[in-house]
Amino acid sequence: MNWNCTQTEERLSEYIDGRLSQMEQAAFTSHLATCPSCAQLVTQVSALVHRMHALEAVQAPEYLSAKILDATLGPRKPKAGWDKWFAWLPNLMQPRFAMGMATVAASFVIVLHTAGITPNKLRKQDLSPASIFRAANREVHLTYAKGVKFVNDLRVVYEIQSRLQPEPQPSAAPVHEPAPKEQNPAPGTNPQEKSQSQPGHSQIHTHEMLACLLAQTDFTETSR
Amino acid sequence: MESDAQLVVHCLRGDGPAWEELVRRHTRRVFNLCYRFTNNSTEAEDLSQEVFLRVYRTLSSYRPAFGGFPTWLTSVTRNLLVDHYRRSRRERMTDSIEDMMPVIEEKQSSARTPEKLAHASELSQQLQRGLAKLSPDLREAVILRDLQGLEYNEIQTVLQVPEGTVKSRINRGRLELARILEGMGFRE
Repeated sequence: MNWNCTQTEERLSEYIDGRLSQMEQAAFTSHLATCPSCAQLVTQVSALVHRMHALEAVQAPEYLSAKILDATLGPRKPKAGWDKWFAWLPNLMQPRFAMGMATVAASFVIVLHTAGITPNKLRKQDLSPASIFRAANREVHLTYAKGVKFVNDLRVVYEIQSRLQPEPQPSAAPVHEPAPKEQNPAPGTNPQEKSQSQPGHSQIHTHEMLACLLAQTDFTETSR
Repeated sequence: MESDAQLVVHCLRGDGPAWEELVRRHTRRVFNLCYRFTNNSTEAEDLSQEVFLRVYRTLSSYRPAFGGFPTWLTSVTRNLLVDHYRRSRRERMTDSIEDMMPVIEEKQSSARTPEKLAHASELSQQLQRGLAKLSPDLREAVILRDLQGLEYNEIQTVLQVPEGTVKSRINRGRLELARILEGMGFRE
């Protein structure tokens, strides 16, 4: 049995799908052996069919099933039982969310610390709005007072520095001796640093100037 | 796991979860068929919903003797797609005498990026464009056989045509699609 090109083309899909009888298959392949154009066509279509079979089905949108169920069964009740209440728990394990929560927790710690609340010594009455406000108010005032004290200290140091500027070689000792009440001398403001390069005046003169200056400075506020 | 036939029996007794399972099991198949046929994900979603509404209403008419539940579902889907095709062609005919195919192609560009949604590969997209150029009869035969994996006799049941017609449509569809893809510059 010999098939022509038309017959071969007509039965091509049945050949690909393995639906030809043995005799038909023999006739088919013997034609292919003699006809390059049919052989090429078979190769082309077979490849296409195999590719289509291997093709993965497109994914339906996730909400589609729910939409269909709503349309058929009507709006359904949400899942009953405890599962529903804890359904959000796995989401907490996501790194991005966990990092966000850690940041929020850290902010709370900072805020609580500023408000003067320590978890160890926390009492029930500490949680009332009035005591939180009082504690926060106290902290703010304390911080403000510390700031004022610091600024005043700085001012003293700067004034001493500016008075000493024309001095030749003032030593560090006379500066510290008459100001024992200064608790927070600012770092890097040691007069020695700037005045080292200017030679000239005597130590006695420095003492006089400092005494005069300290007399003017009001320490009552800063030492509170 | 319960079989589809068992689930259908439960559904007919008014068992909601059985219907839920049936829907979840087959949504992808129905959506695929609709998407391959319309080449538009939004339209495919609407049609899938319509299919399941129809199935829900006519579930009592399903007989296991008809063939597997998927085959029955495929025929319901296919009938709805044919209705949809006729409807949209009629609508189109009132505007102009253009064929259905250009309509499908135009719609694709305005649709919600089906590629993204479907994670379609280059081949899938090429194929989709090629399929859109086939005549509806040949297109559905190729989709049912090669993308839905139905056997010849199942396709015969779905399309309600003689076996010879099924064979001929599958064959002509494949040959035509291969030529179209070649013309589009598609190489293996």
